[in-house]
Amino acid sequence: MAPRLDEAGLIRAVQNGDHDAFEQLVRAYDQGVLRLALNLLRSPEDARDAYQEAFLRVFRSIHTFRFDCNFHTWLYRIVTNVCLDQLRKRKVWKEESPVVETEDGVMNRLENTEERSAHANPERALLSSELGARLQGALQGLTPRERMVFELRHYQGMRLRNIGEVLGTSEEAAKNCLFRATQKMRNSLGEFV
Amino acid sequence: MNCDELTRTIPLYLYSELSFDEEEQVERHLESCAACRAEVERNKVILKAFDRVEAPADDSLLAECRQELMRAIHHEAARKRTVAGSSKPSFWQSIVAFWISFGNIRVPVGIAAALVVGFLAGRIVFFGPRQAPPSEPLVSTIRSLEPDASGRVHIALDETRRRTVSGRLNDPGIQQLLLAAARDEVDPGIRFESLDILKDHAASSEVRSALVRALQQDPNPGVRLKALEGLKRFSGDESIRKSLVGVLQTDDNAGVRVQAIDLLMQQRDQSMVGVFQGLMRKENNNYVRMRVANALEEMNASAGVF
Repeated sequence: MAPRLDEAGLIRAVQNGDHDAFEQLVRAYDQGVLRLALNLLRSPEDARDAYQEAFLRVFRSIHTFRFDCNFHTWLYRIVTNVCLDQLRKRKVWKEESPVVETEDGVMNRLENTEERSAHANPERALLSSELGARLQGALQGLTPRERMVFELRHYQGMRLRNIGEVLGTSEEAAKNCLFRATQKMRNSLGEFV
Repeated sequence: MNCDELTRTIPLYLYSELSFDEEEQVERHLESCAACRAEVERNKVILKAFDRVEAPADDSLLAECRQELMRAIHHEAARKRTVAGSSKPSFWQSIVAFWISFGNIRVPVGIAAALVVGFLAGRIVFFGPRQAPPSEPLVSTIRSLEPDASGRVHIALDETRRRTVSGRLNDPGIQQLLLAAARDEVDPGIRFESLDILKDHAASSEVRSALVRALQQDPNPGVRLKALEGLKRFSGDESIRKSLVGVLQTDDNAGVRVQAIDLLMQQRDQSMVGVFQGLMRKENNNYVRMRVANALEEMNASAGVF
């Protein structure tokens, strides 16, 4: 096999119109990108659209990349913008009401959860399937930015300083955002632990 | 640090985002405050619980995404080339653009378009633009829907309809269609057929480029072999030889690599000795190694590793 080019070499090759180099560059990053989109959008179709749109934007604008920042940061700026746009458009962050109407009448999901006592084993309590739905609900209760910061920190393992750079804000703002996100999740789920 | 201050730092503490000094302060406070220790534990359990709702990795979705993306990239590049060629697209360019964009249609409501290349005597015959009756099959994508106050609905849609185009192979329009089919059609059978037709016209640099492109980029080995067949007569051309060497080094199909060796050996060239010797060091397929060794022997060169 031909020797693998370094990242800067690949980027320059893409800037010179090399589609194979672009494919190599995509493959270096796209698993994380797809995972982020799947986590945020919770739909394979939407994740596929976000993946396509993000990398097409990268392809169209890579000639403007001047190596003045990390390529990973530059790429994730694009990816997070695409995902945030989708989240905002589809309003999927709207908080689920704990009260739902069922065939048996109005039900409060919080009151119907097993092992909700603070004295119960917290691990077991969190493993209940109903709580799985509450976890999803808690994520949907976050604003798009809070959701994004949490996703990037928790699932992608990105440092808050880097998250700030990606989202065009300060590390301090990213910290505050993460704090708000975890507080909301704590409030949604605190009764189970 | 008091309990309120500590509460604000819990997520940062759990994600290891505190400085050494801040972490020291948190741990000093936790040593003496059972309530905060319990709160940290609760937060830890909550955050850990979110690992359960992480979307699972989906390799088949990733593969689909990659395939769709690269197709879109090639379409976009082809569109750019078409636009660069002329500011006002000709009839043929419009058809080629349609052909290229066909693969992008996400919501087909009719049937696919067809291309028939005939060898009819005389000039190109085609059916000119006309209004499609409602029963005529369409391929459409609805772009927007907008009701107005009068009760009418305005629907913006992209629409294409089947058209049969026939012509001689030396007609530039027909050739452009074949080149587009060789480049962008999702069906490898169409790519194979179009290269099979085009291969006899590889004297044209545009056709040669299409063959080289298929050789380097087509995911289907049958299509790549067809491209090699078309390039046979040009195996002495320096740029073609360069592409063939690239194939030897990167193509994952042993059959394609063997064909590339055969083409390179049509015109013996001492500069190939180094290439083949290098290949002997990394080639895993025994048959290909044997063919490379034979080639080196024919050139009176050693197959040994230096």
